[in-house]
Parts: sequence; structure tokens; C-alpha cells
Amino acid sequence: MTRTFKHVVLALIVFIWVLPFVALVTTSLRSETASKTSGFWQAFTPTELGQRFGTHDRDQTDPFVSMSGNIFERLNKNKDSFQISGDVQSIMFKGRLPDPDKPGKTKLIKKLVAAGEVMDVRGGEFVFQSNGDFTWTFPEETAPKPKNLDAFINQNPVFGTDAYVEVLFENENVPNALIASFIVTIPATIIPITIAAFAAYAFAWMSFPGRDWLFVIVVSLMVVPTQLAFLPVLQGFSGIASWATQLNAWMTDCEATQTCQVASKTFASLWVTHTAFGLPLAIYLLRNYIVGLPKELLESARIDGASHLQIFTRLILPLSVPALASFSIFQFLWVWNDLIVALYIGPADSSDLVFPIRLQKQLGTFKDQLHLLNASAVISIVIPVIVFLSMQRYFIRGLLAGSVKGG
Amino acid sequence: MKFHVSAALSVFAAASLMASPAIADVCDTPSKLGDLGKFEGEVITVMGSMEGKDEEMLTNTASCFEKATGAVVKYSGSRDFAALIVADLRSNNAPNIAIFPQPGLAADMAKDGFLTPLGQESADWMAENYGAGSSWVALGTYAGPDGKEAFYGFPYKMDLKSLVWYSPEQFEDNGYEIPTTMEGLIALSDQMVEDGNTPWCIGVESGNATGWTATDWMEDLMLRTTTPENYDRWVSNDLPFNSPEVLKAMEVYGQFSRNDKYVAGGASSVATTFFGDAPKGLFSSPASCLMHRQASFIPAFFPNKGEELKDGSADFFYFPPYEAADLGNPVLGAGTLWTMTKDSAATRAFFEYMKEASAHEAWMSQGTFLTAHKGADLEAYATPALRKQGEILSNATTFRFDASDLMPGAIGAGAFWSEMTAFANGQDAKTTADNIQSAWDAIK
Repeated sequence: MTRTFKHVVLALIVFIWVLPFVALVTTSLRSETASKTSGFWQAFTPTELGQRFGTHDRDQTDPFVSMSGNIFERLNKNKDSFQISGDVQSIMFKGRLPDPDKPGKTKLIKKLVAAGEVMDVRGGEFVFQSNGDFTWTFPEETAPKPKNLDAFINQNPVFGTDAYVEVLFENENVPNALIASFIVTIPATIIPITIAAFAAYAFAWMSFPGRDWLFVIVVSLMVVPTQLAFLPVLQGFSGIASWATQLNAWMTDCEATQTCQVASKTFASLWVTHTAFGLPLAIYLLRNYIVGLPKELLESARIDGASHLQIFTRLILPLSVPALASFSIFQFLWVWNDLIVALYIGPADSSDLVFPIRLQKQLGTFKDQLHLLNASAVISIVIPVIVFLSMQRYFIRGLLAGSVKGG
Repeated sequence: MKFHVSAALSVFAAASLMASPAIADVCDTPSKLGDLGKFEGEVITVMGSMEGKDEEMLTNTASCFEKATGAVVKYSGSRDFAALIVADLRSNNAPNIAIFPQPGLAADMAKDGFLTPLGQESADWMAENYGAGSSWVALGTYAGPDGKEAFYGFPYKMDLKSLVWYSPEQFEDNGYEIPTTMEGLIALSDQMVEDGNTPWCIGVESGNATGWTATDWMEDLMLRTTTPENYDRWVSNDLPFNSPEVLKAMEVYGQFSRNDKYVAGGASSVATTFFGDAPKGLFSSPASCLMHRQASFIPAFFPNKGEELKDGSADFFYFPPYEAADLGNPVLGAGTLWTMTKDSAATRAFFEYMKEASAHEAWMSQGTFLTAHKGADLEAYATPALRKQGEILSNATTFRFDASDLMPGAIGAGAFWSEMTAFANGQDAKTTADNIQSAWDAIK
């Protein structure tokens, strides 16, 4: 009984968490009009949607008595994908007819005309069938202007990968953002973890004066919010950049080509910032893990004459893989998803923008093109998911890092 | 450090060639470009809030300057411009040029000494060469750190606000005529309701700027219900927000926006409809509304990104004045302000470039860009629609800037927006006006 209940609750939680992702993927695979006019849950069943079609092309001006065509052909004329198919339910008729109640005045008539019924369009008789075939007959030869009509069609589900092709291959923004995000994320993960591993070893197994106080300070730095430090950090980088500019002017002949200026907002600024703000947690996590390794192991290594560096590289590192891996996942996800640090401190060139900034920009330009925005969002999710799945076997072990003291 | 995917993968190189319009054509303008000097390899950094299509057109226009002088213009646009520029200026990371979408923030930055004056010579040039020049100069003139007024902001790229968008086809089907007076517009709206149609699409949702569309309505109606002098007094708060003149304009706006029969989706949908989605009602199948009042930029939000104007399925008319009020043809507009945040010879040359008619024509030929530059050739406008807007701009008997842009930031980008949103949600006109006025009193 309780087991079933647990399963139901669990299934419900999974459903709630997975639903937005399903919505995201579904919308990214639908056509622009479909995703705008009906919800994603309607994507899998035939849905009645309004579509506007023109009876014929503007440049087709030859007079005729009777014309026949097909509504679906007209709708799919310039489309390579997301071909509309289904049953035509009705067509909206609109026009002014003489008002029977008020002589001399006209009245606006709006009504839905079903398949097979005759309706008056520009003085001709217009009849359509539910398979889309229509005929337009005039009493004598005429050349009417094309008429756009609203047809209500019970549309079959249709999916396509156009949005992905468009964001990945027809525009360089998303591929550039992917590359820029890797340039930022990989060093910003490796650098702090390298420094933190050394520091954690020192905090765990080397005794020096003030060690505990120093550790407390490092741990308490975890609570400093990044946002608070933007201005001083930016000022620091601009100071370094102007110093580097002067050095550049003094050492090279850049003045001749006007290229002395060293930028202060670069990928390197992001590496430094993410390293600085990632270090406290990294040191804390790794130190607590390393301190729990069997003491006897290290002592026997000492007796055999191993140096600190040898102990660190031969013993500590191989034994700490779970902790290292789980912190890498943390740091990778945090840097990959970071928007605000990149926005304030990262490079601003259009080709150097990281993925979250690109997504934010797309929100501005594509707010009405949900399928493109969703396709980019799915692409940006795929990378962290790969990272997570490939390292997840370390993750559980790593999460417990330092929680239980061994040895 | 730079990474260009296009260099690595030839597929993208080919794709990008197709995507961007031939830049050479953009620079080939009716007016010839004067000599601007040579700045081989010098970098000019530009920051602004323009993104997407606007960003593309800006870089295309700047490329003409690059070609003429050899300088490199690097533009970075972000919707968070207002926050980013303040951080960059305070931390010594100023770009060469900052493009302010609203004068309020530019004035604050000038007062803190972050902007470099463009000089009396530029102000004189603008007064002479821009239509209604002295009012444009006033828009870019602020008090500096020493309290002395100077010309800081160069208005370039203007928007026209007093436009009503509609679908000619729908008007034809329904047998409607374009009204030339406000009385006619209201009669037409009533006629539409009688015929079972919905006249207006109105949406004021815009993230953290929700409400600005409603302030545009208010300003346009102020110009149509009271004198331009009162409008100016309203901007400076000499005429309080809760005065009868302002309340009257707000009530007229209420007659449109708080009328369930007038607004598609009902009056309650106004506050939650994204302003860019509102015009889509004109083109939905069936059409959910027949008219939409919005500035000249809005075709970019149409379903086919403005192609509608070319194929004749969308058009606009001038938001007409009351015949009875006899206030002439008032026009409401706005413009972006280009300021110098880090001086350099190449940056000064760029400001010289913006004085060239050619710089205006280059952008005019690409799309949504209006200019008051008298020397610019009207033939350069990309579409007849833009040309028509350019003519409305020059035929105006009264031209006034977007009032919310001129008011202090706490009002024009704060209380005015939020209270107009509350008004859309059902708050009455008197309370709305009182709340805005007390917010204004608080910052005096």
C-alpha cells in the first residue's frame, strides 16, 4: 500500500519535472504557426486551426469563367516542410449585403460555410470540398483579384527539424556561443579544481601555524555573493588592462598600428572570476574528503620516504577521483549556466558571447519565434546532460564526500 | 581572443554570406561621404540596447564608416544595457560610444561626469540641419558635473509613434474607410463593434518595462486633448499629473483600453498581452482585431517580420487629432541618443560621420529607420511605407518627444509605467494620477 503510494508520488514528481522538457522539445519540432496558435499538448492529435489562403497568385491575371484549385496546394506553395494536410471543415464568409431591415443600408455578414455549400466571392460562385479542392465559377469571363480566405482545417500532426537546422547551420550565432561556452567552462572548471586539490591536501595533512583559522576564513568566503563584487572586480581588471596596455606600448611597436589597447573584459577575466568564486566550496569539499582517507596509508608512505608531492600525486589524487569528479560537475554546470558574470565581466563581442547570453538575446529577438528559442534551449541543455550522465557514477559517492569519516 | 566558426567551417561561411545583405549596397548612398580622416586599425567600442535586426542594421551602417576610415567599430548590444553601462562607466571600462534609448539615464551619467560634451559646434550644426532642430538639441542637452548645460547626446535613428496599423484587406472586406479625425476614428470603432468585430488590439506587457505602451497612448492623447504648451508643462510637472487636463487624456485612453467591446480578448487582457504579440491579432485567421496603435518599429513584430508592408497586407494611417479641438497635426516621436563616453580621435570622426547625410541614407535603405536630417534623400527610404512615415514626420505642425523618456527615471521608467499597468488592471484614473503625482512629489 505505502509502496504503491510512494510510486505514485514519485511518478508524479518525475512527471512534473519532465513536462517542461517535453514541452520544450515538442515546440522546437513544430512549425512556427502551429506553436503559436495551439498548445504543445495538441501537437500529437489532429487539431482544428485557422489558415489563410489566397485563391490565386497576384500576377495571374488571365480572365477565366471557371477556376479550380486545391486549398492545401495553395497553403503549401512555398513550403519545403511542415506541409499542411487534413480536412477542411469550413470557410469564414465575410461581406456586406443589403440590409433587409433598413432599406438602402448594408449589413456585415459573417458566417461559416461548410464543404459543398456555395458562397459568393467577388461575384462568383465558390465551392470547396473537405479534401481542399475548390472551384470558382463566374457567369461570364472575368479576371478577379485574388481573394484571401480564412479556412478552418482539422490539421494532421506534423513535425520537422527546421528550427535546429536554422539555429545550427543557417546562422553562426549558436555554434559560436557553443564554442565560447566551452572556452569559458573548461578552464573555469580545471583551474579551480587543480588549485583546490593542492590546498585541500595542505589543509588536511600538513601542519602549519594558523591553519585552522585560514580554513575558517576560506569556508566563510563561500557566502560572499558574486553580484556584490562586480564593481571592484571590474575595476581590478580595468587596472590590470591599463597596466598591460602601457607595458605593451613600452615593449612592442604597437603604437604604429594603434593596437596597444588590452581589453579588460576577456575570457581570461571570466576564468579568474569563476575560479575565485568557485575555490572556497572546492577547497572545503576536497579537504573534508581527503581528511577522511586512511591515516595509516599516508604514514607508511612517509616511512618509505615519499615526499609531500609524491604522496599527493601517487596516493591522494587517485583516491580522490569521486570528490574531484563531483566537484567538476558542480562547477561545470554552474559556469555553463552562468549568465550574470558573463554579462558583466565577459567579452562583449558578438562572436564571443556565451550560450546563456545568446539565449537571452534570442529572447529579445525571437520572443515570437518560440520554436527557434526552444531549439537553442534544447541544444544548450544537451551538453550538461552529457557531462552529467558520463560522470554520474562518481556523483553519488562524491556527494557523500567528507560526510562519513573513514579509517 | 576571437573565434569565428565561419573560418573553421566553410558551411557557415557560405550561410553567413547568404544571411547578411550585400553591405556594399548599403554604403552606396545617393549622397557622397566627405573626408573623415584615416584611423587604420583603431578600435571604437559601442554599447547600446539594440538587438537582432536593429543590431544588424547598425553594424552594416558602421561598416561604411569602417570602410572609409579603416577604423574598427565593435558594437555590443544587450537588453540589460541600462545596468551594464552604469557598471562599465563606474569601473573605468567605458566604451567609446554609449547609445542611450532614454534621455533620463544619459542625463544622470552626464551629471556624474561620465560623458564628454560634443561641443557647441555640433549643437549649432544640429539646430541648422535637423528638422525641428532646436528641439533635438534640447533633447541631448544636459547639465554636466559642474552644473553647466552642454550638448552630450546626438539623436540618431528616430521613431514615429502616432501611427495606427491595420490590414487594408480587412477594411475592404468589411467596407470601412480610413478616418481622418479622432471623431471619425471613434465612430469607426463603434461601427466595428456594431458589426460584431473587435476594433483594437492593445498589449502593454514588456517584462520589467511593462506599461510603456500605455504611456505612449497617454502622450498621443495629451497632444490631442490639450495644447503643446500644457504637454511641456506636464513633462516638467508644472502641470501636476492629477490635473484635469491629464485626467481627461487618461479617461479618453480608458474609453479605448478599458472597453471590453473595443479590445480583443477584453480589457483585462491588456496588462498581460506582450506588446509584440498584440499586432499579430491583425493577421490571425480569423483576425481578432482590426486596428493597432503603435510606433514605427512594430512591423518587425508582424508574423512575417514586416514583409506584410511590401505585399500590401498591412498598412498604417496617422492617429488623427480631434476636429473640434483644432490643435493642428501633433506628432509624437522618440530617438536614440549617441553619447561619447571615451574620447578618441576616431570616436570624434564617428560623430562627424553621423552628421553626413550618407550615414542616414545607409540606414534608411535597410529598413525601420527615420531621420530628421534635412539633407538625407527621401528616395533612400527602403519602402514607400517608411517614406510615408518620413513625410508624416516632416508635415507635423507640432512635434513632441516621448514624455516618459523626458521625465525623471523614477517616473518615466517607473511610476508612470507601473501605475498605467495598474490602470489597465482596473484601478481608476484619479487614483492612478494621484499615485504618479505622489511618486513625483517624493523625488522632488
